[in-house]
Amino acid sequence: MKLKEIAEKLELERLTPVFDKDVTGVYISDMVSDVIANAKAGNLLVTVQVHANALAAANLVDICGIILAQGKKPADDVIKMAAKAEISIFSTALTRWQVATKLYEAGLR
Amino acid sequence: MESMVEAVPQPRYELADVQPGYVIIEREMYTKAARSYFSAEPVPPKEPYREGSQVWAFWEMAQSFRFSVRDNQTAKVVKFDEVLGLLYYACCDRDSDLYRIGELAHESNISIYVAVAYEAPDGSRLDIAIEKLAILNRAFNERLRSKGKKILILPDYFGLYKKLSYGQIMLDFGLTAMEERADSPAKEGAQ
Repeated sequence: MKLKEIAEKLELERLTPVFDKDVTGVYISDMVSDVIANAKAGNLLVTVQVHANALAAANLVDICGIILAQGKKPADDVIKMAAKAEISIFSTALTRWQVATKLYEAGLR
Repeated sequence: MESMVEAVPQPRYELADVQPGYVIIEREMYTKAARSYFSAEPVPPKEPYREGSQVWAFWEMAQSFRFSVRDNQTAKVVKFDEVLGLLYYACCDRDSDLYRIGELAHESNISIYVAVAYEAPDGSRLDIAIEKLAILNRAFNERLRSKGKKILILPDYFGLYKKLSYGQIMLDFGLTAMEERADSPAKEGAQ
């Protein structure tokens, strides 16, 4: 499934351009170390972590995009950093659990 | 339309023996020097202790992990116990050499990171062998799917450890503190 399709289905707010990558799965975590150790390339990261280091970890493991739950939004420099690294960032008022449910309903496993 | 990702073959290298724990940062009471170490204890030690004329006390901790890399072809396992964390070039000062090099590398789709090592008990910096960094680079690059993307993890040739704040390194300070912290422990004055 493509990132753009997911963004449309979940009505996500786009904070960066959408880099239309394939989504291989979902990883939910707020811990940088956990993302580095366990997330897989192509995963969509669901988090409330807006620190630049979350983006740094996502880039290191080749996360395809980040959904910030509970209306979280990172600082402008993090958004610029993400756009440069071609990692799409979205924001939604939904909780992480609600995002997970909707991603499952959308067909992601 | 051409796919932006490529299929990933069975990896030769993989992270192994991932051990969760804490990076403990302690501070010397009189000189205010700071140093760090990894603790796998469920409840990390916080009591001050004496070391010669110095008294070291707990200052801050961050959740982290210790890991090895396994070569699935040779079954060889390489430990990375000396790695405190990785620093992404874009999290550095824009006037720094690392930032400028990182920007140049980015033009070629290479993301630069620097491996920052722990301090030895005497305050000197532990060495991360270049051969080990080569393995770490292979392990992370093997995981990538985005076409043409590369990761390059460099040794700390920049002496970053002297001026970094621990908050710039990819560590999990304070699980409840999800925002960027202005008061993350600075390493200035570290031995």
